[in-house]
Amino acid sequence: MTDWSPGGDSFSISDRASSSARLERAYRRLVACYPRSFRRESTEEVIAVLLATAREGQRRPSVAEAADLLRGAARMRLGLSRCPRTVLHAVRLMYLGALAEVAVLITLLLSIDSIRSSTRAAVIHAVGPHAAPAATRQLLASVASTVNVTIVIDIAFALFAIAAWLFFAWANGKGSALARVGAIIACAIYGALTIQGYAQGDAKYAPVAAIVASSAVLVIGIAAVILLLMKQSWPYYTRPATAR
Amino acid sequence: MQEATFLILTALADGSQHGYGIISEVAGISEGRVRLRAGTLYTALDRLRADGLIDVDREEIVDNRLRRYYRLTPAGGRRLAAEAARLQANARAAMTRLNPGLGAI
Repeated sequence: MTDWSPGGDSFSISDRASSSARLERAYRRLVACYPRSFRRESTEEVIAVLLATAREGQRRPSVAEAADLLRGAARMRLGLSRCPRTVLHAVRLMYLGALAEVAVLITLLLSIDSIRSSTRAAVIHAVGPHAAPAATRQLLASVASTVNVTIVIDIAFALFAIAAWLFFAWANGKGSALARVGAIIACAIYGALTIQGYAQGDAKYAPVAAIVASSAVLVIGIAAVILLLMKQSWPYYTRPATAR
Repeated sequence: MQEATFLILTALADGSQHGYGIISEVAGISEGRVRLRAGTLYTALDRLRADGLIDVDREEIVDNRLRRYYRLTPAGGRRLAAEAARLQANARAAMTRLNPGLGAI
């Protein structure tokens, strides 16, 4: 092809070079999300592959490319790139469990007033209209303080449960045998507490949303434990630490 | 075994490949159906290396860009052969039942 516009041609080459440099910088920012050990060994290689698969004239990473890289980075950071599917699903369920526990906490916080007023109404109804006002007031105050203590305990328990879910998800993803045993014990304790709570009448007084949420959390926990105990999960927890 | 994993091992079965080579081979083998993205590819490669099914063969610098070549390990070859045999047996059973008149091939 005859080139009778040298200036224009050199401009288009430098233009293309700068857009590909910009694309490379954007790819590097995404690859920076990967764990250090992976970056040290593979950054240049991954960048080369990304640039080789980029479309002609592409200026920035596509949404699909970015999502794919971020998902890969998250999986590697959580140790999930090397674990069996069963463990992967169990860990995902545990993160879902943490999320459900957040929902439990939010419903609890939103229903504090209704819990207080319904227990108050129940006390007034129980003592009847003919009780001495002073005795009723005293009873109401003592019930109110018990309710407050219960609410604080429930909030603390929910916060602790969120932390526990996140910890067990992370540690099981890393293949810690201790974390697997811990998750099984924690699930058993949680199940026992939940069932005991229902037996004591939580089911009658607690808001329906809280019951649904805590039952959902329990089901998620049981499913995760079943996955952790499946045959395919065992090798991940019994292999030597150096292989992780 | 995931299909992507199977295709990556297949891409390495007749010789070492670098990352982009694996992506093109996998696209070719699957007739364009499976187009691996870099994030998916390197997550899979990381896992396959940890499992001892593949290993780094060599590195080259082409146009100032690093190319790392991967190859199948003996364990990887055995795993792929076993998986291929399993898929073949399933496929044969399906074909036999769909076309009982043809008999065993």
